[in-house]
Order: sequence, then C-alpha cells, then structure tokens
Amino acid sequence: MKASFFKTSGAASIIYLCLGYYIVMAFVAPGFFTVNNTWNLLYNLLPLLVIAIGQTFVMITAGIDLSITSIIAVTSITGGYLMSSDTAIFDSPESLIFGVLGMLLVGISIGTLNGIAVARFGMPAFMVTLTTMMLFSGLAIWLTQSQNIYNLPEAFVNMPYSSFLGIPTPVYLGVIVLGLSYFLLNKTLLGEWIYAIGLNVETSRISGVKVARIIIFVYAFSGFCAAIGAIFYTARLETGSPVMGQNILLDVIGAVVIGGTSLFGGKGKIIWTFFGAFFMVLLDNSLNLMSLSFFLIMIVKGSVILIAALLNANREKSLRTT
Amino acid sequence: MKWITNKTVQSLLHHSTFVLFAIVLTVFGLLSQSFFSFQNLINVLTQASSLGIIATGMTFVLLTAGIDLSVGSIMFLAGVISSKMVVAGFPLWMAFSVVLAVGILFGLMNGFLVVRAKIVPFIVTLATFYMGRGLGLFLSETRAINLPDSFLKIGSTQFFGIPFPIIAFVCVVVIGHLLLTKTVFGKQVYAVGHSTLKSKKAGIKVNGILLKAYLICGLCASIGGLVAISQLGAVSPTFGLQSEFMAIAAAVLGGTSLFGGKGTVFPGTLVGVLLVQCIQNGLVMVNADPYLYPLITGGVIFLVVLIDSLRHLQQQKLKRWGIHQK
Repeated sequence: MKASFFKTSGAASIIYLCLGYYIVMAFVAPGFFTVNNTWNLLYNLLPLLVIAIGQTFVMITAGIDLSITSIIAVTSITGGYLMSSDTAIFDSPESLIFGVLGMLLVGISIGTLNGIAVARFGMPAFMVTLTTMMLFSGLAIWLTQSQNIYNLPEAFVNMPYSSFLGIPTPVYLGVIVLGLSYFLLNKTLLGEWIYAIGLNVETSRISGVKVARIIIFVYAFSGFCAAIGAIFYTARLETGSPVMGQNILLDVIGAVVIGGTSLFGGKGKIIWTFFGAFFMVLLDNSLNLMSLSFFLIMIVKGSVILIAALLNANREKSLRTT
Repeated sequence: MKWITNKTVQSLLHHSTFVLFAIVLTVFGLLSQSFFSFQNLINVLTQASSLGIIATGMTFVLLTAGIDLSVGSIMFLAGVISSKMVVAGFPLWMAFSVVLAVGILFGLMNGFLVVRAKIVPFIVTLATFYMGRGLGLFLSETRAINLPDSFLKIGSTQFFGIPFPIIAFVCVVVIGHLLLTKTVFGKQVYAVGHSTLKSKKAGIKVNGILLKAYLICGLCASIGGLVAISQLGAVSPTFGLQSEFMAIAAAVLGGTSLFGGKGTVFPGTLVGVLLVQCIQNGLVMVNADPYLYPLITGGVIFLVVLIDSLRHLQQQKLKRWGIHQK
C-alpha cells in the first residue's frame, strides 16, 4: 500500500523536497527544531491547508477560485458582527454557535454564487472569481468602513489554544477537513465525477454526469473551506477584519500548484496539496527564523515556486518521452 | 424565445460593452453637469493612460492564450528604480532607459520560462510577481519614495494642450493596433492563440512569437509604471498591487478572450480601459462613497462577462437546434 502510494503519486518529489528541506533547516535555522516552533508550524499550516484543499477541488475541475481572500474577509466580519460583545446581537453562550454557523453559511453562499455563475451561465472561472473578489472585498470594507471588530467571546478566541484529549482543537478541525475531502475525492462517485469533469467536460456531460451541479458543489466547498480558514484566522487575531487574508491568495494557489495539481484540471491529490501547503509554511517559517527580511522571503518564495514547477515540467517531459 | 433571435437584440448583446459604456456615460452625464466637459475628458484620458498602456501589453499575452500576473510588480520595480536613480543624481534619460530595460528583461524571463522550461504562464508569472515585488521592496526598503519635481514636470508637460501621459497612451495603442493588424507578427499572434499545434504545422516559429508577446507585455508594464509615477509624484510600497487584475479585466471587457486568439487593442482594449476609468471618474464626480468604487466597478465587469457568456450559450443552443432541424 505504502509503496504503491509513492509510486502512483506523480508529485512524490514534493514529499521528498519537504522532508529534505525540513532536515536541512533543523540544522541550519536557529530555533527551528524546537517544540515551540513545531506548534508554530502547525498553527500556520492548518488554515492554509484547509483553504488549499478547497482550491484543489476547484482546480481539479479545471477552474480557479480567486475569490477566497474576499470570502475570508466577509466571513471574518460576519463572525465579528455576530459574536462581538460590541454589537451584542446574541447573548454570549449562543453567539459562538451562531457566529460560527453564520461564517460557514456566508462562505458556502459566496462559493455557490461563484459556482452558479461558472456552471449555469458558462462564465470563465477566472473572470467570475476575479469580480467576486473585487465585489466582496469591497463589500467587507464598505460594511465595516474599514474598522476592525474587537471583543470577540473568550471561548472563540481561546479555541486555537484549547485542547481535547491532549490534542489541540484546531488539529481535530484540520484532520476532519482533510479526511472528509480525501474521502470525497477518492472513495465516492462524486470524486470520480470531479476528476472526469476536469479531464473532459463534454464527455462527462454526454456520459450523464450532472456537470453543473458538481461544479457548483466544488465552488461551494471552496467557500466552505475558506470560511473554516477564516475561523482560524479570526480566532487567532481576535478580531474580525475586512482586510483579513488579503495576501494569502498566491500562497494558496502556490501551495496547490507546487503539490502538482494541474491548472488544466483532471490531475491533483489531497495529499499533494498537504505537502504543497506544508512546504509553503516551512519556507515562510524557516526564512523568518533565519531573520531574512520580508522582501527576501518574497524573492525566495518566487524562485521556489518556479523550481517546483520546473521539476514538475521536467518530470512530465520525461514521462512523455518514455 | 423569438426576441433573442431578433437582429437588433443580437447586435446589442454582441456589443454589450459599448451598450454598457453608453449607459454609464448617460447616467453620469445626467448626474453630474461637468462630466461631459472637455477638461473632464482630458482627466479621464490622463488617468486611464497608465492602465491603458499596461492593458495593451496584456492583450498581446492574452491573445496567445497566456496570462501575465507580473505586470504590477514590473510597474512597482519601474517606479522604485527610476526614482532611486533620479534621487541619486542620474540623468532622467538614463533612469528611463534602465527601467525600460528592466521591463524587457522581466518580459524575456517570463517568455523564456514559458517557452523553454514549458511551465504554465500562470505559474511563471506568479513566481516573477513575487520576485519583482520582493526586489522592489528590497530596493525601496519598504518605504514610500517621494519623487523630485522633474518627474512631476513630465507628467504635466503638455504638447498642443494635450498632457504627456495621453500622448504616451495614444502612441502605445496605435503601435499595438498596427502591430496586431498590419504585420505578419500580428497575424501569427492570433494564429498561435487559436492553436499552437496548427501554427507549428503551418511553419510559424511559435516560441519566438510567445517570447515577443511577453516581451511587449513587460515593456508596456514598465512604460505604464513610469507614466503612473509621473502623475503620482511618489512610489508607495503598495504601488501597482492588483493592477495585473485590472489590466486583465480591462482587456476582457474589450472582448479579448482568456483562451486566446480573440480580441483587439483598438477598439477592444481601449474601450475596456475607458469604461473602467469612466466609472471611477464618474463616481468621483458624483461624490460617491469611495468604499463603493470597487463594488460598482466589479459589478459592471461581472455584468459584461455575464452578458457575453449568456450570448455565447444562446448561440450554441441555436446552432444545436439548427442541426436537429436538418
């Protein structure tokens, strides 16, 4: 099982890259191989991973979701409004439940909107999600007049640091999303249909796959994942912010693509995305620890994305010629 | 269903951008007295010049079915390098030529990686986006740079009453238009966008065409950056952020397809750019809440793409019916 897992995953190189990089950094970067920093890695990984998983679903159908940043922003302020004691919409014990549910609902709704525009109206995914990005991030800033929302309930703010059976709560959340998406994509008919659509829309349609519904589902799922990511970020920053996640878009797409998911659809795996996201986080974290400046990190990140893509392209070339 | 086959409705839908443009002009014209003044026309054109120049370059890349996300970073880099050089005492012409060289270099790098390394344009330009912005932030030390007056003088120089940015804008659009319509290179750009394989079989040097398309885009981005800072008088660390998306949106509004082979610089991209700029300008004229700008701009772009897609779907349906009737 394990051997075939590595053999079948065409993007195994990202796994070795991650492990190799991790080992090298354990020696090179001061304070990298410590308990504290491992927690840091984990806390940075979880939201990025969850959001990237949603993006993977979309990319497998040959789409793209640029609106995730705006979804994060809108869900963050929704959560803020519903939970903050400043607005006091609900009494404190219920506010947490309504807040989280409201956030998920908003995320799914925006995703569904994207999906309908792509699937029913035949609009190009890039343009749809580009305009919804502009629209909803504008909306988030307009609604709040670019003010942050503070005073979130204690239970919500403490969520990232709470634990159950000795394991922090966020880990459960991450594992649930990871498991659910793995199951959906690999063990269900829905998953097979998602791959089929990415490989060839027309053939799938002719073979009776309900293409429109599945595409709508995929974007709604991406919205759902972005909302979960927003819950992480909102809880950690203890604020509902209309500009939350503004810089995360390219990290997410980078993570998915470094993992080996094709922008042309039909190819991609949850486990690849996991390592793609892990690599992005490793990169950020280790370069930070080596006290490289923000702009050098950007340059290195760019080069690494390029190198990963180069490795991918070369491997595909060698596969083609043999 | 009859109305959809009606010739007038069809042609209206076909020119949805123009129709929306007319609506936008009418609405703002009615709301604001000074919207249709000559001075405001000059204003709109001046403000549109930077975006227009970048979108013209972007059109070339989009026509080859590629995409260039790095233009915003090239703009930023252009701003930082030229202002650093001028502040350090280099003559203006030298700063400008270095900036143009940087634009060409980035374009070549993008093109080379797309052509030789066979990496998808989206990833290549995503990577160069990071590198360019990182380099720019490094050079500027993440600080805003105020430009010497000589820069602003260029921005406000007038020839026969027409400000310099507009002249640069018009020049780039005219050259771009002529390149696409009157030269062999232009025809080959369209051919490559339609089908790389067929173009190869027809003996077109596809790699060379792609390389040139990215080069033009990079060059236009650096010119656009220079034009923009000559008006702004300062380079902030967020300068040029998201302008790649605005350029793509403007080109698509003008009827350029993201899948290559379809689109024009004139009138296409020009109209797209003017539409975006008219909305922004009009909103200022009617004293709209600044927070609403992205909402309205995004909404209009969404509408245009929606109408275009619906028309496309309808056409396909009609075609299918036609086949069944036979």
